[in-house]
Amino acid sequence: MKHSVNRPPTPDGAEDQGKEPTLQEIINIKLIESGEKERLMELLRERLIECGWKDEMKALCRAYIKKKGRNNVTMDDLVHLITPKGRASIPDSIKTELLQRISSFLTSAAL
Amino acid sequence: MSSKINGNVSPQQCPHLLDFRSRNGSKPFRALQDCIRVKPPGGRAAIRREPSEVPGCGTCEESSRPRLYACVACAAVLCHSPPLHSHASTHALSNPGHEIAVDVDRAELFCCVCRDQVYDRDFDSAIVLAQSINAIATATTSTSGATAMQCNVAGSQPENLRKRRRVDYRPWAPDSREHVIIGNHSILLHDATNASLISSTELPRGLRGLNNLGNTCFMSSVLQALLHTPPLRNYFLSDRHNRYYCQQKNGAFNGTKNSILCLACDMDAMFSAVFSGDRTPYSPAKFLYSWWQHAANLASYEQQDAHEFFISVLDGIHEKVEKDKTKSRSPGSGECCIAHRVFSGILRSDVMCMACGFTSTTYDPCVDISLDLEPNQGGSGKSSSAKSHSSCNVEADCKGSNQNCGISTLKGCLERFTRAEKLGSDQKFFCQKCRVRQESLKQMSIRKLPLVSCFHIKRFEHSSIRKMSRKVDRYLQFPFSLDMAPYLSSSILRNRFGNRIFPFDGDEQDASNELSSEFELFAVVTHTGRLDAGHYVTYLRLSNQWYKCDDAWITRVNDSIVRAAQGYMMFYVQKMLYYKASEKQAAS
Repeated sequence: MKHSVNRPPTPDGAEDQGKEPTLQEIINIKLIESGEKERLMELLRERLIECGWKDEMKALCRAYIKKKGRNNVTMDDLVHLITPKGRASIPDSIKTELLQRISSFLTSAAL
Repeated sequence: MSSKINGNVSPQQCPHLLDFRSRNGSKPFRALQDCIRVKPPGGRAAIRREPSEVPGCGTCEESSRPRLYACVACAAVLCHSPPLHSHASTHALSNPGHEIAVDVDRAELFCCVCRDQVYDRDFDSAIVLAQSINAIATATTSTSGATAMQCNVAGSQPENLRKRRRVDYRPWAPDSREHVIIGNHSILLHDATNASLISSTELPRGLRGLNNLGNTCFMSSVLQALLHTPPLRNYFLSDRHNRYYCQQKNGAFNGTKNSILCLACDMDAMFSAVFSGDRTPYSPAKFLYSWWQHAANLASYEQQDAHEFFISVLDGIHEKVEKDKTKSRSPGSGECCIAHRVFSGILRSDVMCMACGFTSTTYDPCVDISLDLEPNQGGSGKSSSAKSHSSCNVEADCKGSNQNCGISTLKGCLERFTRAEKLGSDQKFFCQKCRVRQESLKQMSIRKLPLVSCFHIKRFEHSSIRKMSRKVDRYLQFPFSLDMAPYLSSSILRNRFGNRIFPFDGDEQDASNELSSEFELFAVVTHTGRLDAGHYVTYLRLSNQWYKCDDAWITRVNDSIVRAAQGYMMFYVQKMLYYKASEKQAAS
């Protein structure tokens, strides 16, 4: 990145000393650093396409856009629309599979 | 938000993006260029300041937020998940000029004030180029394979891309007056009134053996397929080409030696004979004679290649069609003759210069797609002929990376067909921008699907180098239903790059292609035996039953026989035209 950019002021170190990273944070960072997160994301994408979840979400978006009109919909609207439905409709088998992968990763990373 | 520019629909730029561009010179996203990281396994582009950066929101310090954006103006990484957390929006609203950000995991531009994705050609080109270069580098090892193209359409659009308005299907039934007209002008078929009493052992209408006139199984096999190609059958049976009228028009009805040849007339005669209800085998002698006159070099009693015959027949119908000056003569538009209306599709070829990213796109019509079964040992690479009427030859590996990897499938061949291929150093392409020959990447995709797709498997190899020919007997698995959507230009390009600007013709073309991308198999021409002594047989699917057409003999067979056969040419028709009536054999 350019060095002569208008950077926002560096957050004051003192302010953040008190904040402990949550377990979720730690796990997330470990997953990213090891490259496991990227692999899991690819796996998840594949599974969600296979089971038709992606097509369902696409159809929901299309229907909404058709109703509201192409020029009256923003990406945030769509994310807001499909997030609850999307989360609710993920098949259990996929959840299980991913949880299992994460679990074995954590064991092997000796966390 | 979209508007049409030169017929292309591009998303309209939001005012904040326009503002950003105007304030930041000619290369506003230059700083991001170094931050584009493309990683296998998916080949997706991400934005990282350092290669090993774990991005997190500068305000709330969380890296596990689902959407993180980097401000393009100041590189601050902030989260955006409204309504709970959106430090990106706060940043944008309190810092004028900092409205545009980039999604760090998806490399897509976002306006934090409009709260919508925005598109920029320069940005998208940079991403696409980075992805392509990465794909080349990992091409030999990565199984996720190919690539993407920045698409600057070098030539003008193909002429037939004016959008055809879709008309909704309206069922029609004759009124009483029309009934009378129909009654007066038709010859009822023998069993028309007993339609419901047709026993299941009787053959459906239009099935009639074709006598072998001397090694003419190459002809009878293809003719059987054509006779049962739904749009072609309907055209001739509804008298759209009347052989009496046509010959009179051409002034050839005086029986002189120089009667004008019209393959369509002979085809019309054949349709009438085959669908007449007469079950005795028919001898297509007149058709053979006419075809000999058209394809003089193939006129002999030797065995010919069925595919060559097929191309030649379509060509013959095209050439001798009544020259209607109001219609376009280009095969791509499909309006020149019935042969092209039925079989002609359009292939898109993108060739991208590896040095500068400039892409040259060409569109070529083709009446079928020829697929290889195994890697070309001669090493001559892909050659896509730009002539009209010709089939497009393509190199395809079997599914998987080594030769003994399992069963070859038609889908595998199509995947190979649409995969990007590096044109070797001996095939450098002249890049218009670099003004010099450069190594390039070529990718094929289907721009417009034909009504009927014919896939030709290249089983006969003629090597002039080794002065020998051989036949490839390898089994190819083919499906009864085929969805061509993954091989369309829109899918191929979009799936590689996600939400980028591409010069498509707007969503309408897309939607119509997607609706009609499902195909059903209705005929398979198979070959058994050796190259010099072999036999062609056609399997037809009527009323969801399979029938084996072996010259004059027609028998009903099971699915499994067809699946196990050695497919040489497979004919698929668009499902929308796969009439329900043919599944029920109801008289109408």
